[in-house]
Amino acid sequence: MGLTVIFGALGVVNFAHGALYAVGAYAGFVTYEYTDSFVAAMAAGAIFVLIVGIVIERGLIRLYYQRPPEDQILVTFGIGIVLVEGLRAIFGGLNRNLPAPSWAASIVNLHVTLYPIYRIDVLVIVAVVLALLYVVLYRTRLGLIVRAGIEDQLMVNILGINVTRTFLTVFGLGAMAAGFAGVINAPIVTVSPDMGADVLVQSFVVIVIGGVGSFWGAVVGGLIAGEILSLAAMIDPAYSDVMLFAAMAVVLILRPQGLFGVQGRQ
Amino acid sequence: MAQRKKTSVSRRRVLQGAAAAAGTLPFIHVPHSLAAEEAIGNWPTGAKGSSVFVGVTTPLTGPYSADGIDHLKGYQLAIEHLNEGKGLAAHVPSFKGKKGLLGKKIVYKNADTQTQPNPAIQAQTNFITQDKAIMIAGSLSSAVAIAIEKLAQRYKVLNMVGCSGANETTGVDCQKFAFRSQPSAYMAAKALAPVLGKEIGRNKKAIYLVPDYAYGHSVEHSTGEFTEKELGWKSLGSQVYPFGKTTDYSSYLLNIANSGADVFVNVAFGGEAVASIKQAKQFGIFDKMKMVVPNISAFQGKELGPEYMGGVYGTMDFWWTLSETNPMAKIFVDTFHAKFNYRPSWPAHIAYTQMMVWADAVARAKTFNPAKVIAELEAGHKLQMPLGEVWYRKEDHQQVRAVPVVVGKTKAEMRNEDDFFKIVGLTPGPEVMPPDFLGCKMPTSI
Amino acid sequence: MSAAPSRIGARGVAWWPVLGMAAFLAAFPYVIPYLGGSLDTANRILDWGLFGLGFDLLFGFTGLLSFGQAAFFGVGGFVASYLLVAPVTGNALLALLVGTVLAAAVGVFVGYLSLRRAGIYFAMLTLAFGEMFYFLDISPLAQWTGGENGLAGVPAPQFGFGFGATSPFGVYWFIAILFFFGFWFALRLIRSPFGAVLRAIRDNGERAAAVGHDVPKYKLTVFVIAAAYGGLAGGLLGLLQGYMPPDAFYLETSGQLVVQTIIGGAGTLVGPLVGAAVWLDLYTVLQNIAGIGALWKMILGVIFVLLVTTFRRGLCGVVVLLWWRATTSSPPAGSEAEAPPPSDLIPPPAEPVIRVSRPITGSVVLATRNLSKRYGGLAAVDDVSFELREGEVRAVIGPNGAGKSTFFNMLASVIPPSAGTIEFKGANITDLGTIRVCQLGIAKSFQINQIFRSLTVRENLRVPAIARTYGKFHPSMLKTVGHDAAVNVRIDEAAAAVQLTDRLDTPAAALAYGEKRRLEVGLALATEPQVLLLDEPTAGMSPAERADTVRLLKRIGAGMTIVIVEHDMDVVFGLADRITVLFNGRKIAEGTPEAIQANPDVRAAYLGSQAAHEPA
Repeated sequence: MGLTVIFGALGVVNFAHGALYAVGAYAGFVTYEYTDSFVAAMAAGAIFVLIVGIVIERGLIRLYYQRPPEDQILVTFGIGIVLVEGLRAIFGGLNRNLPAPSWAASIVNLHVTLYPIYRIDVLVIVAVVLALLYVVLYRTRLGLIVRAGIEDQLMVNILGINVTRTFLTVFGLGAMAAGFAGVINAPIVTVSPDMGADVLVQSFVVIVIGGVGSFWGAVVGGLIAGEILSLAAMIDPAYSDVMLFAAMAVVLILRPQGLFGVQGRQ
Repeated sequence: MAQRKKTSVSRRRVLQGAAAAAGTLPFIHVPHSLAAEEAIGNWPTGAKGSSVFVGVTTPLTGPYSADGIDHLKGYQLAIEHLNEGKGLAAHVPSFKGKKGLLGKKIVYKNADTQTQPNPAIQAQTNFITQDKAIMIAGSLSSAVAIAIEKLAQRYKVLNMVGCSGANETTGVDCQKFAFRSQPSAYMAAKALAPVLGKEIGRNKKAIYLVPDYAYGHSVEHSTGEFTEKELGWKSLGSQVYPFGKTTDYSSYLLNIANSGADVFVNVAFGGEAVASIKQAKQFGIFDKMKMVVPNISAFQGKELGPEYMGGVYGTMDFWWTLSETNPMAKIFVDTFHAKFNYRPSWPAHIAYTQMMVWADAVARAKTFNPAKVIAELEAGHKLQMPLGEVWYRKEDHQQVRAVPVVVGKTKAEMRNEDDFFKIVGLTPGPEVMPPDFLGCKMPTSI
Repeated sequence: MSAAPSRIGARGVAWWPVLGMAAFLAAFPYVIPYLGGSLDTANRILDWGLFGLGFDLLFGFTGLLSFGQAAFFGVGGFVASYLLVAPVTGNALLALLVGTVLAAAVGVFVGYLSLRRAGIYFAMLTLAFGEMFYFLDISPLAQWTGGENGLAGVPAPQFGFGFGATSPFGVYWFIAILFFFGFWFALRLIRSPFGAVLRAIRDNGERAAAVGHDVPKYKLTVFVIAAAYGGLAGGLLGLLQGYMPPDAFYLETSGQLVVQTIIGGAGTLVGPLVGAAVWLDLYTVLQNIAGIGALWKMILGVIFVLLVTTFRRGLCGVVVLLWWRATTSSPPAGSEAEAPPPSDLIPPPAEPVIRVSRPITGSVVLATRNLSKRYGGLAAVDDVSFELREGEVRAVIGPNGAGKSTFFNMLASVIPPSAGTIEFKGANITDLGTIRVCQLGIAKSFQINQIFRSLTVRENLRVPAIARTYGKFHPSMLKTVGHDAAVNVRIDEAAAAVQLTDRLDTPAAALAYGEKRRLEVGLALATEPQVLLLDEPTAGMSPAERADTVRLLKRIGAGMTIVIVEHDMDVVFGLADRITVLFNGRKIAEGTPEAIQANPDVRAAYLGSQAAHEPA
């Protein structure tokens, strides 16, 4: 769940995101098969999907900035189908196994309970990535441009900031985050072409709860969604996902812009 | 911790019974008498030419695509063997030495179901109405299998059920036109229990991880019933997770890790089984307890490898090492391996043997007339297949067949790249058949 | 949203689509065997087509892209199927009706929540709610829905007296008749005033609200209509195959509907039907080509991406385009190739024709009291009080960053003030919002053209005319808008006032810049406002166009009360009766043009502002 936070913080929502997440996991899987290095797998996942993202942006998405947002949704939805089926054509439908790195494969005794080190590592990795993201977004000029792109694409257009670069950066960063998330999640879930579908929906929910383009909104939204899922699952698993959507509905009724969203932004 | 009453398994039985009762639609008017040459379904139209058509539906995309492709290859190989008189087709007494079936070539088409019932129904309806299918087959989930069974019943076309482990398939939802070979959850659990007693011991404490849907609950229920009744095991409860969308099992696995159980019964299937087992290892569960997977998915060994599956107990419809003891299995496994370059998994086995059993019934009936083929199948004629002797029971159309119980091999024990399991028991079919037919009320006439 | 404006909705009712559809439906079952399909395929194509009619109204005509239509398909389907299987009723029509109504009710719920956001977030929300219904179906409601097994044994429709859809043809006719009515209704709807407003919302929802339409209510209504279509189609799926599958609720169902509609052509009504036929055909054909098998989905995905990228209006759009090329020398509406005539050659009419009832009493119509707007610590508008008298033309000027636009947007209720009040004829209208303010009689024309680009000039002007004739919301779905005399009179008057009478049937996108600008003013005029707010009406114009526009505004101004924000001083001094000057958010001067010209504070403000740059 922590990984959806990264998507949320970047405010990057496109319907190919689940597929990019899967592409990242496969890139990591292949790299791991050849190098036996999880660090290399992480780097490969992020970089490969960044390249894929740039190719998609330059090749297709670029043509869509002058068109209504609905068209962009449609084309990313279509790209998602092509990527997932492409993975299936190359790797087959088997669930692949990318094991946790050896340095994280053991269990730690937290006194109250035992907990796998890898999961703690993932938490740390997510925290580090979020911290990095925070610094980049709020402390650099690149971040300013990216935030402007996230928050108000029209405004970027009007202000005449280098629009091409902004959109490319936003899209590329989003893709890279998806690819990276795919690799670090791979040891926990299974690597399969369809692995991204649920991540997509969950990250949408996190973004709606937290508020679009809000860094802290994404963090809080992610935490809330995670808590709801695990609490509801303990009471009655049949309702756990339904509760998540119910929470989303409540947020929409009370604060349509999300908990940390800015009013008036669509 | 979520505890579900085990009785929830049957919460829909009443409804499904009603559905089954109302399930006969007069789309194609069929006289209710069994007069010899009256048309039934696509017979005789579908058997007039030089070939007969078999409609196959398997998933090629979606979560079960790997299993679906294996399943499809089983049909492909069987149809090739039947048309050319090779493989097992050269050994079945009723048609050995012949090419084709009753002198006709078998042709088939496959449609991708994406593991969803509706595309399967859509495609099979087309196969029946357009291609005049004389038999329909293929499925990779019980939901799809039961939907196809009912479609077959409606159109009066024979259905040799594909992969389906739910009790309902030959239980409350059983159909006159449908025959299922895979062991039901009940049979698998009953076959598993004595082996577990021998290998793991008596009076153990068990904890369950259960997907929250009908099949999950019925596996949990049956496994609990036999291990408690026959082995004196005690259930410490179930961790029930939402079926279909769960990717993180940590909250359930934490409870399991801390439960103090001796045995972890993992009812998850397919990708969910793979993910939950990976995570269970990360939680150190295998250091504390043995794992049992009552119904092991087709590629679980390959997907997880011996590091995870070594020492795991479970049942499978078929495992290829049976070829070392059974000559029929050897023919099947060797020809499959030669053609597709890997050893068949159990979805391929179901497809292959169901085709052979059907062909045998047709050959003995000397007609494609489903009424007569059904009568032949119901007659309980015993046939030598890769699992040994198999035959159909007329009361519920469940195949009586041996159930292999397996244990995962460690890496050191593996002799080739497909050698993931050791067969530790082959429980004979008659010992595991449900005496009460699990609610099936098979009509005596068509 | 669309490259070519819809041909439907022009004056006169064309009966050929209805007759054509009837002929098609009558012939379809006899033709489909020759195309390699079965009756069952025909039934499914019609069912998807019916499902798609609702989606096309929602997406193709209103621009709302929903990825959650499966929820309504599933609800309608499972409710109807449950009623027949349980059985609660033996009447298939009753079961379908209940299913449809409940699907619509779910549509109210999902629509109310999802429509709080727009664009990509609306799509995300519908997708998420669609998933929610999937979870409800497979787990908590499994007792009634059969969970992952679905509901089998749905009986064939029986209507008594020996009538029933029990043969394959019977089922076909049953679905075909329902589809026909669904098509007929959708066609009437898009030709009605309601439909005209939907298309305006698709093109520019903000502008539709600015001319006085209750856009959220229109959106919700069409969302519910689409849900009802989905519910009916879902119920029919259960009936046609005797089995209601759980995948009705899957995300794939919503996705397939979207893909089919795009492939067939959105905004055409027949597009979804064509798309369904193509999808079902390709699905069967591709899989049976050796070597493709599992790749069918990827190939469809590639086709989809290519179609979205190149032919926005899908196969039907391509056909329309080719047909246009073959039958006419001029390209279809929407292409920019049509050369617009020079706008300054139009002779001015002798006298203003806009009909504004207005006693020249000179009483205060619009006033602000201590109006302020703060953004954080920055006061964009600071304590401005202002009175506008009937018949007056008032200009608001000031250097960049003076707060003109903010002030103006508060007058039009686009943004709420931080403090102070706005009064219209003595009534407080401070927080009413654009829609109600416009309905009261304050209309705004925008600095950047906010016209409905894919509509013709006539269709553009029809949007405000409908708002004036029918109020902010009116569910008149069966009336033909082209026949509405009151609306037509208003269109003609507004067109004459902005000198676009000759261009009425030209697509707005094909107009010259000056003409677009005049249309922008015309949109505000056609609401027949008592106060007209003009935001830089000559922005971006050539000198000739500018002079033209000043003449035009003068004529209009002779009959109404106007507030104008303008940079061009020639325009301001040529038009205004009185001028208000803002500087740094404050009002520094007010008076006649001569007085303002002589005011030293104003001069100082304009000179001083050369150094300080702030965004306006």
